[in-house]
Amino acid sequence: MLNKRKMLEIALILIIIIIAYFLHIEQEFYSLHILSLMGIYVLLVLGLNMVIGNTGLLDLGFIAFYAIGAYSAALLSIKGLSFWIILPISILITGFFRFLLGKPLMRLRGDYLAIVTLGFGEITRLVLNNWDYLTNGPKGLPGVGERIQPIKLFTFTFTQELHYFYLILFFTVGSIFAIRRVERSKIGRAFVAIREDETAAEVSGINTSDIKLFSFVTSSIFAAIAGVIYVHWIGFVSPESFTFWESVFLVCMVVLGGMGNLLGIIFGVVLLVGTPEFLRVTLGGEFVLYRMLIFGLLMVILVIFRPQGIIPEKRRTLELVSEK
Amino acid sequence: MRKILCFVLISLVCVSFVSCGVKKDVKEGKVVKVALVCPLTGDIAAMGQGMKNGATLAIEEANQTLKEIKFELLALDDRADPKEAVNAANQIVSDKDVCGVVGHLNSGCSIPASAVYNRHNLVMVSPASTNPKLTQQGFTNVFRTCTTDDVQGSFAADFVYKKEIKGVAIIHDKTPYGQGLAEEFQKTFQNLRGKVLCFEGISLGDRDFKALLIKIKGLNPQIIYFGGMYQEGGLISKQAKELGLNVPLVGGDGIYTGEYIKIAGKSSEGDMATMIGSPPDKLPKAKDFIEKYKTKFPDMDMQPYDPYTYDTTNIIIEAVKNIGQDKGKIIDYIKNIKYDGIIGETRFDEKGDTLNKEITCYSVKDGKWQISE
Amino acid sequence: MIFQQLINGITLGGIYALIALGYTMVYGVLLMINFAHSEIFMAGAFFGFFLLISFSSIPFLQNNLFLQLLLAFLISMSLTGILGIIIERFAYRPLRKASRLTPLISAIGVSIFLQNLFMLVVSPQAKPFPEIFPVKNFQFGVLSVNSLQIFIITISILLMVVLNYFIKQTKLGTAIRATSSDVETAALMGINTNSVISLVFFIGAGLGGIAGILVGMYYGSIKYNMGFIYGIKAFTAAVLGGIGNIPGAMIGGYLLGVLESLGCAYISSAYKDVFAFIILILVLIIKPTGILGERVQEKC
Repeated sequence: MLNKRKMLEIALILIIIIIAYFLHIEQEFYSLHILSLMGIYVLLVLGLNMVIGNTGLLDLGFIAFYAIGAYSAALLSIKGLSFWIILPISILITGFFRFLLGKPLMRLRGDYLAIVTLGFGEITRLVLNNWDYLTNGPKGLPGVGERIQPIKLFTFTFTQELHYFYLILFFTVGSIFAIRRVERSKIGRAFVAIREDETAAEVSGINTSDIKLFSFVTSSIFAAIAGVIYVHWIGFVSPESFTFWESVFLVCMVVLGGMGNLLGIIFGVVLLVGTPEFLRVTLGGEFVLYRMLIFGLLMVILVIFRPQGIIPEKRRTLELVSEK
Repeated sequence: MRKILCFVLISLVCVSFVSCGVKKDVKEGKVVKVALVCPLTGDIAAMGQGMKNGATLAIEEANQTLKEIKFELLALDDRADPKEAVNAANQIVSDKDVCGVVGHLNSGCSIPASAVYNRHNLVMVSPASTNPKLTQQGFTNVFRTCTTDDVQGSFAADFVYKKEIKGVAIIHDKTPYGQGLAEEFQKTFQNLRGKVLCFEGISLGDRDFKALLIKIKGLNPQIIYFGGMYQEGGLISKQAKELGLNVPLVGGDGIYTGEYIKIAGKSSEGDMATMIGSPPDKLPKAKDFIEKYKTKFPDMDMQPYDPYTYDTTNIIIEAVKNIGQDKGKIIDYIKNIKYDGIIGETRFDEKGDTLNKEITCYSVKDGKWQISE
Repeated sequence: MIFQQLINGITLGGIYALIALGYTMVYGVLLMINFAHSEIFMAGAFFGFFLLISFSSIPFLQNNLFLQLLLAFLISMSLTGILGIIIERFAYRPLRKASRLTPLISAIGVSIFLQNLFMLVVSPQAKPFPEIFPVKNFQFGVLSVNSLQIFIITISILLMVVLNYFIKQTKLGTAIRATSSDVETAALMGINTNSVISLVFFIGAGLGGIAGILVGMYYGSIKYNMGFIYGIKAFTAAVLGGIGNIPGAMIGGYLLGVLESLGCAYISSAYKDVFAFIILILVLIIKPTGILGERVQEKC
């Protein structure tokens, strides 16, 4: 069963593991940290791609569910629960909110849905910032005298940047495989059908609103995982990390990289998160200023001239080309 | 597909080697780096740029007198964003020549970054993060040269109470800094049996405070205490007077800048601000610093934290001069340091907070901040 | 007290209404949310800022306040209008045939670009707006109203009356109404729909630009990122009144301004922005057609 492609993928993962170890030995904590951060973003983008790339629902408030995942994890960890128990609980909490929001949304037109998610994202941030009793308000969690429990695996405790990198890599790779399974299943084909033509899909016997809701809720699982890991890794969370621009930034990654294509969106993360950070070391901080300017322009140009993204999805390219 | 996979692989490899390649060209000889992290871009870049000026001056002076060690400033930008701050912190701990960190400006950035420095036993002295939590995490490597919110907030409450003011309205901007200040003010003022008529939060970046101020006007406060920065503070002061609520606004160091007066215009007359430390022009050493600052950066106004950054940088330089580059020893040295600088004498308590708890109250007279008696 | 809040709410509402018109008109003809409209509003504030600063050094304008204001309004309105046309021409027109979401993504790109452009070119800091308007306070018993509030309320109502007349009574207005009810048919009837769409962008962006100057004058401080919150609230106003519906945008604007002031005063000031977002979500979920009903057809 091990065809060439599988071999390549396994080799790639092994190489990443070795590179990370090498960076650790060399004390290149910064590179390692950025790689970990990219891993977190890949998780987020995988979730967002499920709604934008697969079902064609534009979500402009995705960061809210990352925030809910992160905050629920922080609150539970302060109570003394361990990472492995928090993870499923946080996923459930996040999924519950996602379901509450998603249920009435499925009847809405695409652009209305985008605006409602934007509104929900902002409401989430403002509530986290104002509900001092629960979230410690702007001061962030954990508060004075509280702490986030370290992650333990049997008797081993995570302390180094490298440990967290492997943890993030494990979840990221796991998520990629899980999503690939879904995409190739009947549900995955239903996703695409809805994206291309909802009416036709409905007529062909797909229960569109259920499928849409399924993708909408499932996508939040990845945001929750990312949030839980982020809190344990950094050990601190505050509302200012979850702004609207952060959501837009995620949308940029999906759109620029290539909607619906896993490799494309990973490339989007490398392009938007990795490159600026590594260029910062070479070019100095001034470059960061122009980053958003360039991204804004790129988005417009790409949407017009290459709507399928830099690394497009095969299926989609065929569709777009055949239309012309 | 294969092509793409190879491409991703190659880009990853490149990415990981780029950073290695960059840092291998360190000059031979004894170069010691002092890192400064603060927002050099973004909304409060002006304060960050000022801090950079302060640190630059300290480094240059040190290099004029020293022969055997050469100090270098490694200034990084955290954009006042916690995520960026942690990125920058990791960049710093990857650099073996860095012996100490000056920063960050915002408490929201200092707190998560301090955990990274602590993991690598690197000293961090913040000249500007005032949130009490920073030094209460049990880290041995974290210090600060500025006083905390609780000192400043309660000082303001005492000061106001002594002026026979019994009723205040409190507004804060829902940031760690602003809310912390406002809460401390409230606590102290209520202990003094003063009346807090309301305690209201606003949103950062908001412009219209009239609805809130109309409500406050109905409560007849004698002053408005504001925890927050100059932009919102200036607008609140202006709109209060427009509505005929002619009471002074009292704030913390966040409004103690010329920008505040520009925004509030004539309405700012009589408003007050507390600022940590003694006024720089009262100390003989500081006069010298102000002169130097003016000659080196003629077209820049001095920002509130520049003197602090100057002293903080000097504290780390002092430690390296006396101890060498052993990170653990530097921390021990700074713990017991007695440094006489331009903000007065700095010594640290067991938590890492400064014992210099001087606070000065300023008020706006004739369109300028002047020391108020 | 409550009347004082109402005056405050109406002033704010007038500004929201002016911005909301831009959203609603564009939605009427193109069925797209012009996400970059909030940045056009911000640009208008900055154009006004630079114009007023440069006027103060021109001799024959120095003492003529009325002329200064008039020119600032007219020039800034034209500049933002042209900016609106440019954005439509380059970022939206190539996407007419694309799906509903593509222009929205493009609009977000434009919005990011403009915001960062102003941050880099002008300043990341807030800029104090030149205070040239003579502010006088009038007391009516317990009520205090100042001349600037009266000016803003008057200007916003005046502009809306003019716009309403233009849409209802003139030939061009008829063309706009025809285009917004059905683009293809309007084109068959000999209307140059591209020009009409450009005109709609010009008017919408121009009104947004004027709102920008009004905000600068009223609050005295402008900043590169001020567009977002005003934009989202104005969009809420447009949705509340019924998107695509011009009188609806006006009603929605005033209603939202008043609701916000009252909510801030009687419930909580910290949650002020949350109210607007909650109204937005509820209207979209429960009655997407808003108060007056939308005047747009479904895309087939």
